[in-house]
Amino acid sequence: MTDLEQQGTSPAALDVSDLEVTFHRRGRDLPVLKGVTLRIERGEAYGLVGESGCGKTTLAMAALRYLASNGTVDAGKVLVDGRDVSTLKGEALRKWRGEAVAMVYQDPATALSPAMRIGDQVGEVFRYHEGLSRAESRERARESLRRVALPDPDATLRRYPFELSGGQQQRVVIAMALAVNPRLLVLDEPTTGLDATVEAEILDLIEDLRGRINAAILLITHNLGLVARLCERVGVLYAGRVVEEGPAREVFTDPRHPYTMGLLRCVPRFGMNKADAALQTIPGTLPALGEPLQGCVYSARCPMAKPVCTRREPDLYAWPGDGGPAGRAQAEAMSPDPAAYSPHHASPLGDGARHARCYFSAQVREMPETTAVLATSSASRVGGGDVLQIDALRRTFKDGRKKLTAVHEVSLSLKRGETFGLVGESGSGKTTLAKCVTGLLVADSGTLEFEGKPLRSAAGRRPREALRAIQMVFQNPDSTLNPAWTTRAILSRAVRKLGGTSGSSVRAKVDKLSADVRVEPRFLLQKPNDLSGGQKQRVAIARAFAGDPTLVVCDEPASALDVSVQASILNLLVELQSSEHVSYVFISHDLAVVRYISDRIGVMYLAELIEVGSAAEVFSAPHHPYTEALLSSIPKLDFGTPQQRIPLHGSMPSLSEPPSGCRFHTRCHRFLGDICVNQEPPLQEPASGHVYKCHILPAELLAAQTAPSPPPASGQV
Amino acid sequence: MAPPDAVADREEQVLQADAVAAQEQRRQRRYLAKGLLRSPTFMTGLIIVLFWIVMALFSRSLTQDPNVVNAFATLKAPSAAHWFGTDDLGRDVFARTLAGARTVLIIAPLATLLCLLAGGIIGLVAGFYRGLVDEIIMRLVDVLLSLPVIITAILILSLLGKSIPIVIIVVGALFTPVVSRTIRSAAIGEREREYVMAARLRGERSAFIMAREILPNITQPIIVEGTIRLGYAVFTAATLAFLGFGLPPGSPDWGLTISAERGFVAIASWTVLFPAAALASLVVAVNLITDGLTRVFSR
Repeated sequence: MTDLEQQGTSPAALDVSDLEVTFHRRGRDLPVLKGVTLRIERGEAYGLVGESGCGKTTLAMAALRYLASNGTVDAGKVLVDGRDVSTLKGEALRKWRGEAVAMVYQDPATALSPAMRIGDQVGEVFRYHEGLSRAESRERARESLRRVALPDPDATLRRYPFELSGGQQQRVVIAMALAVNPRLLVLDEPTTGLDATVEAEILDLIEDLRGRINAAILLITHNLGLVARLCERVGVLYAGRVVEEGPAREVFTDPRHPYTMGLLRCVPRFGMNKADAALQTIPGTLPALGEPLQGCVYSARCPMAKPVCTRREPDLYAWPGDGGPAGRAQAEAMSPDPAAYSPHHASPLGDGARHARCYFSAQVREMPETTAVLATSSASRVGGGDVLQIDALRRTFKDGRKKLTAVHEVSLSLKRGETFGLVGESGSGKTTLAKCVTGLLVADSGTLEFEGKPLRSAAGRRPREALRAIQMVFQNPDSTLNPAWTTRAILSRAVRKLGGTSGSSVRAKVDKLSADVRVEPRFLLQKPNDLSGGQKQRVAIARAFAGDPTLVVCDEPASALDVSVQASILNLLVELQSSEHVSYVFISHDLAVVRYISDRIGVMYLAELIEVGSAAEVFSAPHHPYTEALLSSIPKLDFGTPQQRIPLHGSMPSLSEPPSGCRFHTRCHRFLGDICVNQEPPLQEPASGHVYKCHILPAELLAAQTAPSPPPASGQV
Repeated sequence: MAPPDAVADREEQVLQADAVAAQEQRRQRRYLAKGLLRSPTFMTGLIIVLFWIVMALFSRSLTQDPNVVNAFATLKAPSAAHWFGTDDLGRDVFARTLAGARTVLIIAPLATLLCLLAGGIIGLVAGFYRGLVDEIIMRLVDVLLSLPVIITAILILSLLGKSIPIVIIVVGALFTPVVSRTIRSAAIGEREREYVMAARLRGERSAFIMAREILPNITQPIIVEGTIRLGYAVFTAATLAFLGFGLPPGSPDWGLTISAERGFVAIASWTVLFPAAALASLVVAVNLITDGLTRVFSR
């Protein structure tokens, strides 16, 4: 941006130019941001996407002058509303942070002080920054809470954070962020820890607020759907570099950088199933921080990379334009010594222009697909008798005097080679059910049958044969492996205990297992802390498969991973299923993922299984109103049709006092009346094998759910 | 089955990887060591402790005999001949002060090891099993923690005898409840982790899970707890010596000396001052080591 252009126009809300940030850790210098330039105009919403470790949060922290003490800004400038943030010090910095910028963090529970009432916490902003009295600030706090649509602001003001749900907490955090009318609002993964329906509510709120506040928004997320829904422009960050930038709609429908294309392809498109095709992946892994990169930062993983890409790093070229080919010619002509090259920007950013850091932007559309199609017809895979049969399973926890029923009368069955997807919001009982199956928890009543034989509840009392046959893959890659053991030790122990192998064949079996899950031999001697999240999860999968299991319970196995890694883990699970003929119980809150991997799906709400059917049946009408609401809440990467979201009333009732009649009646948008409150709904069976628990008959439900007009927002309020 | 040359390739890769992993491990260790070496806190503490260890071992050959009595030079103020003066029996306070670390440095580390061992086992068991086992153990720990350490120690020592081994056992036993509490909370943090669940799904026995899965991951809190206890143990050992437990009268131990000479503090303060300062320096040094370790570990 030249000075000439800037004259006469108001300064941008955020103007970052050539920002370089380095972290110093354990005696090493790790460059995190390398010459990042971006500009967010006033009132604009800008999405910054990229996988973990690409520098998204660092950029936000640098913009707010909140870099950790081991991070330094080595070069470049950050202007917020025309003000150079590096010149701010002491009291001025504090005042500026309080008045000009605001941030909403990922986890609302840790962003609020647990010891302060909401009213005092929100009111503090006004007392401190506007010098208002206690009474005045309370009044303003009430207004702020009203602005973020919190029901009953007066009651909320008196509450402590723990008395609010996650969604309500995030609303309070947003209210505090907006209290001072900031110029720049940074949202760092604002909905990542929240359930789908709550996420949708928060998105609605942000969307609604956009029209009423004049803050520019910087949205940091790994979820492309969020950006598609909220932002005008998007920047894609990879290894500390902006690799593509432009209007969100254009970038997502017609990407001009191979990384953007790769990211878009790895997300399972809605309605896709494993029988159709394997998921696209991005080969290789993210470069480690501080790893020296030759030429284009993405060249090592790029399916389109040519020799020239490793010779000299491309600039951010304007698209459409001939920057790419021209830069390429220049790169080809020059000496292979990268030191002879000094980076500069070919053209200014901003103003709705599109940029991509690639010599071959024009060819990205024809980028070769990375994964071979892996067609496994589910009909041939699934067969034989039931592997697992659960009947009327119930599990209750005690919380003081209260009794929380986490799993209530759940019955289901699973065939050999079949994947049963389990969806539902947090607290619906998915994980408790999974733990009862594996024996980590003991059921209070009901029966478990495995291959026709009754199964003891506790893992410690199961025979080795049953332990071998039923294994589990856990959610958190950082705690699933013992950090004190090497990968080989972890797998060897599993092979000995579960596979019953001993002596010299253990080594061979571990080598084969690690090759099957594609863990490179060099990782066998390393400890988990030296492995990436995806590699850890591969080792965890290998561990579960050590004894050739019959049933593997996967509890959110890919949820904590980046999309490209998630895709390869899901592919691996599908592949192992077709080669080992194993059954899965697959838990996830990501409906597209569950739809992709499952043959049948069960939907849980408040400890009950309210719908079961084939993946396609459950995901299309007629289905339970709750399933319908869940499906409508996912932010999609789809610009064609405006999304019709079904709002759920209120928050999830307590497990200790579930609603009478139909458990969903307090929130249902298709509420019928007294019958829902007083009578437990029957099981409706619209198709053989597809059942849902509701008073509405299949034909009526089908008519209502396929009607073109949105459902009336009636029901019990 | 992979062709033989592929297997050989893999072997080679493994060997290479081994070298890389070992290198990385060495680098990490070097880094930790460097952090400690560069920490003034840790180094000051370490040098002082090493000084007292060397003195405990060799001071007798460096100074005059700490037990030689000189009736003609009692309670002399510090001078060139007697740097720290002399005591009521004309013994050289400098020699006695340097020699005085010996008993404390036998009792305190052994008592600390004992309490780490016992407290570690109790804490692991309570933290791993939780439920009723935990409830019973922790209530017992609460009861033991409410006992005043010194008074209880005096009581037990009066019953069992005053020898050094018994002092070690009593001090170790009295510190066990505190240690078990720390280890328990560390074990609880680990027990909820997924790798422990995975071990249970493998059918591992509880003892294996505690010793092989959990224990290696709580070594840092154990080391830190150990250095904290060491500081207290030094103090407790000196206090017990002051009260006359563990040592024959006349030996140059700090606590004992302070006790024996306290009547002369008004007219010959050096007789008490120097042993007291020496004792304080050892306690402070151990605490400096604790601080240094905590800081480097938490980085």
